[in-house]
Amino acid sequence: MKSKLMIVLRKELRETLREKRTLAMLALFALLYPVMIGFMLHKLIDKSTMSEREGIELTVIGAKQAPTLMSQLGEKNITVKDSGPLDEEAIGELLRAKKTVAVLRLADDFTETYYAMRPAQIEVWYDSSTESNSQRREVEGVLEAYSNNVASARLLAHGVSPAALAPIRLQRYDTGTNASRSAMLIGSIIGILFFPAFMLCMSAAVDSTAGERERRSLEVLMAQPAHTWELMGGKWLAASVLAIVGTTLGLMLAHAILKWLPLEEIGMSWNLGWGDLALVCLVTVPLSMLAAALYIALAMNSKTFKEAQTLLSFVMILPLVPGLVVSMLDLKTAQWMYTVPVLSNQTLLKEMAKGGDLGALPFVMTFLCSALPALLIIGYASWRMKSERYVLAV
Amino acid sequence: MIEVHDVRKKFGAVQALGGVSFTARDGQITALLGPNGAGKTTLLRTLVGLLKRDHGTIAIDGVDPEKDPMTVRRSIGFLTDQFGLYERLTTREYLTYFGELNGMDRAAINRRTDEVSELLGMEDILGRRSKGFSQGQRIKVALARTLLHRPRHLLLDEPSRGLDVMSTRALRTALNALRADGCCVIMATHVMQEVTALCEDVIVIAGGHTVAQGSPEELCRRTGIANLEDAFVSLVGTEEGIA
Repeated sequence: MKSKLMIVLRKELRETLREKRTLAMLALFALLYPVMIGFMLHKLIDKSTMSEREGIELTVIGAKQAPTLMSQLGEKNITVKDSGPLDEEAIGELLRAKKTVAVLRLADDFTETYYAMRPAQIEVWYDSSTESNSQRREVEGVLEAYSNNVASARLLAHGVSPAALAPIRLQRYDTGTNASRSAMLIGSIIGILFFPAFMLCMSAAVDSTAGERERRSLEVLMAQPAHTWELMGGKWLAASVLAIVGTTLGLMLAHAILKWLPLEEIGMSWNLGWGDLALVCLVTVPLSMLAAALYIALAMNSKTFKEAQTLLSFVMILPLVPGLVVSMLDLKTAQWMYTVPVLSNQTLLKEMAKGGDLGALPFVMTFLCSALPALLIIGYASWRMKSERYVLAV
Repeated sequence: MIEVHDVRKKFGAVQALGGVSFTARDGQITALLGPNGAGKTTLLRTLVGLLKRDHGTIAIDGVDPEKDPMTVRRSIGFLTDQFGLYERLTTREYLTYFGELNGMDRAAINRRTDEVSELLGMEDILGRRSKGFSQGQRIKVALARTLLHRPRHLLLDEPSRGLDVMSTRALRTALNALRADGCCVIMATHVMQEVTALCEDVIVIAGGHTVAQGSPEELCRRTGIANLEDAFVSLVGTEEGIA
């Protein structure tokens, strides 16, 4: 004789999979998320490597007046486009078209003032609302260096050490490694990879509890020779299966995309093999089951599908909370994080992406921190289901 | 055999059952008559152990549904006032689901599905999903589910509602066959014709109390009224009947 739990599970799955909305949701969250992430990162990589590949386009008005400056710009891989006189409007037009990072306008009397050793005016026209600010700063850096060089030369000619101009010497050391810099970005990506666990089981969980009450089939079901834990367990597992499949697919697709992208270009790392990913997927299985258990335990108290959906849309905010708190308080990764569902999964994947050996404990903790509450909740729901009110209030 | 003695049930301040006693014998169809709100549905739910009684005893072939609900439910076919169909399942899938829940194997389910669908004249809807079924088709599917596992006891809550003439006759044939098999059938109904045609025994309940039990002829004799409907009204008490 087949287990009653399996009978219920199979029937609920069959019924759920016949609903097109559910399948659409599954496809949307499992596939769209990773593809979206991949697309965003691809854009980011593209943008950050653009200046190296294509150089910086700069328009200069009156370039002939400062040949040394122009050659110094050229050394920094900045392509100078000499232009005739332009009025304000024409410059704005040029910047809006994004054909140039900035427009330098050398004053008409640039040469004269330069030789007279008075400050020679260079105007920088730029559009701060575009994304070329870092490239514009590079141009300004060249201008400053040029200015300092000329000043030093002039002082030297007057017998003054140029060192007098530099009371301090600034030297920058960036201790951010690839891994730590990528942690932020990876963290936000990883954050959303686990939400499908909470989204995909909702409709099945609600439909098999509140929906069954609304359609008045619950009484018939409860009059069958099956224990409430078999009925609830079957419904719970059916809802979980959807979330597990969706979340696992999403994680795998995201992994494939992240492995394929040249992440090192933007200082990110994804040091995960397929074996590691399989482990992450495995310890994430209970998270889906926790979500399903939570939904079932709550939805069974609602008399209609609609009522349950409204109630559960509040619960869907829950998985956002731990990640939000951690990022707001700027908490460092700590052992206790592996005891909070969702957060533990996020932390685990984040630490694994950085590379390094974690040991077995975080995996076990991540697994148990979802699995235990899930079992408790579904046990409680089964026990509650024995109450007469679920038969009466149909 | 279903034996009920002085069963009482209270919901909050409302006394739904105030003392119901009767015996429904095997190989008989027992009618459960009572005005709306008399406690028929509550009684049937108590018999399968969905509700717990506050007082009294129930024995279904000697088993108390509160102590061993699984055994009791296995031996009962329960047609509720709700059909409990699943719109996305076909009739055959629906019957298979409940057959499996009652511990039947596939071969038995297939055999019984064919038998009951022939009995109820519903072969045409076996492969269809129940979405869009008419009232008659719905109750046929629910009836088929009730009969599928060959229960020894049948609790039927208004089984003939919404059925056309042919289907009503088919139902009558089915009930006669069950009686011949020695099943114990309790049927809540409002149709007096059915009671006269089918039932050996009648239980009349009103306001949560058993008012009378006996064959239709006995009830008529006791009230001194020849017509069962009038006899019923007189037993229940006119005012309550109207309310």
